[in-house]
Amino acid sequence: MSSSQQPNLRLERFKAVAGSQNSILLSVLIALAIIFTLAEPLFFSVATAGNILTDWGSIVLLAAGQTLVIISGGIDLSVGGTLAISGVTSAWMMTTILGFDITTTGPDAYPPLIVGGLTAVGTGLAVGLVNAFLINKLRIVPFVATLATMGATLGFAIIISNGMPIGGPNDFSLISPINPTWMPFSWAVVGVIIVVTTVGLFLHRSRFGLHTYAIGSNAFAARAAGINVERHLTKVYALAGALAGLAGFYVYLRLGAGSPSSGVMRELDAIAAVVIGGASLMGGVGRMMGTVIGALILFTVQSGLIMAGVAPDWKKVVVAVLIAAAVAAQTLRPQNRAR
Amino acid sequence: MKKSYFKKAVALAGAAVFAIGLAGCAAEEEAAVTPTTDDTAVVAEDLTIAFVMGAESDPFFQAMKIGAEEEAAAQGVTLIWQGDPSNYSPETQIPIVDSVLAQQPDGLVLIPTDPTALQASVAKAVAAGIAVANVDTRVGDLTDVLTFITGDNEDGGAKAAEAIANAIGYTDGETYEVVIGLTSATATTNVSRKEGFEATIAASYPGIQIMDVAYSESNPEKASTNVNNWLTKYPNLDGIFAIDGTNASGAAAALQAKGLVGEVALVGYDAYPANVALIEAGVFTALIAQDPAAEARLAIQSLVEYLRNGTMPASAEVVIPNVTLDANTSAADLAKYTYVAN
Amino acid sequence: MSEVIYEVKNVSKRYGSVVALDGANLKLHAGEVVGLVGDNGAGKSTLVKVLSGAHMPDDGQIFLDGEKVSWENPRMALEAGIETLYQDSGLAPNLTVSKNVFLGREITKKGILGKMGFLDSKAMEEKAHAELERVGIAVPASNRSVSQLSGGQRQAVAIGRAVAWARKVIILDEPTNHLGARQAGEVLEVIKEAKKKGLGVIFISHTLPHVLEVTDRIVVLRLGKVVRDAPTSEFTGDTLVGTITGTIQTIPEEDR
Repeated sequence: MSSSQQPNLRLERFKAVAGSQNSILLSVLIALAIIFTLAEPLFFSVATAGNILTDWGSIVLLAAGQTLVIISGGIDLSVGGTLAISGVTSAWMMTTILGFDITTTGPDAYPPLIVGGLTAVGTGLAVGLVNAFLINKLRIVPFVATLATMGATLGFAIIISNGMPIGGPNDFSLISPINPTWMPFSWAVVGVIIVVTTVGLFLHRSRFGLHTYAIGSNAFAARAAGINVERHLTKVYALAGALAGLAGFYVYLRLGAGSPSSGVMRELDAIAAVVIGGASLMGGVGRMMGTVIGALILFTVQSGLIMAGVAPDWKKVVVAVLIAAAVAAQTLRPQNRAR
Repeated sequence: MKKSYFKKAVALAGAAVFAIGLAGCAAEEEAAVTPTTDDTAVVAEDLTIAFVMGAESDPFFQAMKIGAEEEAAAQGVTLIWQGDPSNYSPETQIPIVDSVLAQQPDGLVLIPTDPTALQASVAKAVAAGIAVANVDTRVGDLTDVLTFITGDNEDGGAKAAEAIANAIGYTDGETYEVVIGLTSATATTNVSRKEGFEATIAASYPGIQIMDVAYSESNPEKASTNVNNWLTKYPNLDGIFAIDGTNASGAAAALQAKGLVGEVALVGYDAYPANVALIEAGVFTALIAQDPAAEARLAIQSLVEYLRNGTMPASAEVVIPNVTLDANTSAADLAKYTYVAN
Repeated sequence: MSEVIYEVKNVSKRYGSVVALDGANLKLHAGEVVGLVGDNGAGKSTLVKVLSGAHMPDDGQIFLDGEKVSWENPRMALEAGIETLYQDSGLAPNLTVSKNVFLGREITKKGILGKMGFLDSKAMEEKAHAELERVGIAVPASNRSVSQLSGGQRQAVAIGRAVAWARKVIILDEPTNHLGARQAGEVLEVIKEAKKKGLGVIFISHTLPHVLEVTDRIVVLRLGKVVRDAPTSEFTGDTLVGTITGTIQTIPEEDR
């Protein structure tokens, strides 16, 4: 067939790493950190890092699931609503069913919290399965199907909670930095990192991840290769739902309450993180690390602007510019990084 | 002749069927027009009052709904309760008002999400012969509005300033740092409360400096984020004024997470049950409570009395006073003013 | 001639009101190359899909090695040893060459990681490279994504994949489309190699000189029916064209 070239492997490797999406993103992140520190020296502190990570925790869970969905060629607009209803059902389970309330604090709260966490994930999983059903069996395109579940979940969240946050048992130390002096991560954030890393490993190293990329890249080819596309997409949307449910529980830990208004528009933040991270909305392209850094960038910008005393509407402008740049870079670069 | 009799008979029969069908449709419409008051008998009531509020997801409006339903039942009128599920914005509210007007209610209670944008909708209603009342927020021109009932937001802001000054132990000659957390830069409620707060600070507590203002867009998580960042930026922060319920929820959580309960005074607004419980725990210095149920009740009552008897309301603008709930409030009063939901 | 390895009898397929296949018959022997030709709309693609398991026929039977089979999905046909090269090559552009070759048949790591589905990428790359070389295709470092390859290289990978995995039958739907003369020639060489290995090959093409060069038998489809099924030696370029377009009258199968 065609003769194979002998490329200068070392140069190629360096070019690949330096020009890789992740390196560029990291550079952007560092540049932003520098800019904000110049504007407000207190920005460069363990406390700020802790604040950024706390904000990042819930959205990166949403974004991790969204990464899988977008790589598979779909989209999930319902994750914000799922976050809301999962937080609410979790709080409802712990208070109305198990009988706890806000007076249970500290380690005493762990038993109900475990039940609450499982309830939240279970709720999210259920929503994800509904999405899969709408998309697979009723043949509704993901945009429309998940738009519908978004409305339904937000609505149910309000109905179950009567529009008010349901306060319940909590241990606020779970969401605070483990050591404010030098350790900005909280136990909740550590948990999030473990979850996201695991999902990332499956995405990049396992058959499940490969099939997700294949379906997004060429669904026909995937089917022709013997992959059961419907069954696989069910797993993808179910997983995205479960992750959104977990995010709902994370927000519960943050607020000490299940709040129905906590999910509104969060799916847009998640999608922004995924797009900034380098995924293509056409499917077949994207990396978990990109999403992780993309989400970090979003919240660095958010915290940075508040610390610098800039009007918060500028955040929307900055994010818009970042998304435009990411999409442009996506369109211009050849698809050189496989998978 | 036979032919003409036959034709007439058919025409008559056709008209009869048509009339019965129309009446049937109308009856169905009436029944469909009672979505919320399930207990009311499915008999067409003589008056229909529509109530278009801000955002279903805001507990303030949930509490209002209770009052509205109670009053509607007491007055024996049909209530149409409508509004966007989560968006507090004129873009979504105007089409809702339009579809409500199409159902031809006798009266409309409107909570305008924007004073200018909803003016045209009010004019439309009035032109259709519908009596209009405003609650909580108002349109710019109240000429055709029967009555405007609101909580006193400026007073609420002033009360909040008092509460914060007390909590931080204000002494003349010392300087103190506070911040204000709002939901939006334009909602009239937010703006008035902020103005009342600032005015009282300037007049009576000049030592208090308002360091910063930030917005949470009705999302408690955002309010939490704002407080987190403030606490990092202002290590000597003395007080936080959280200007509405969702903001207060997020602020309280952030304070607890940072372990600064009791170190930073927190005054909130709106008596969400979850937040009222935190007064006892010392998280909230005080909560400024409105009486949304009372506002709704008075609005419906005024409209009904005008529609039935032609009585003009006692006053074109009614201000329902706020209540400060704090550690000294009796349990009975706490229960009374907490925003109850169904 | 050797035994019949793959056969469809009397298959019909309707899409709505359009009759794509109308009682078509096809027999394939081991080590034989059968050319399947016909004008646009003749039913070639549909027949390919029935043969590959992508679509189930409304009527008719399928036999593999003399036994009746029914393909409910492409996986069943693949597992039975039937490989298909579809018209747009059926590769996932964002995946690497090796991942494409092993798509659906991935090599997993050993042990518990393997059970969870973790892949042995290195093994797949080595094997893919080796397999493609074995069937006469050299591809650049197989960790590049397929979208970086030229059209010809992509086609080569797709064919190489089909030949590498095929145990009984290879179906090639327009494999020389978009290829230059030299590359097309290489494809024909691959077909000859496959025939030598004893596989049955079904070769669909618009390029009649190719069909005449490499096939043993030609089946002509017109409007969903087989109008002629004869050894290649019985055709010339002109008669082949004529049979396809219908200017040369043929006696329908059932009336012979």
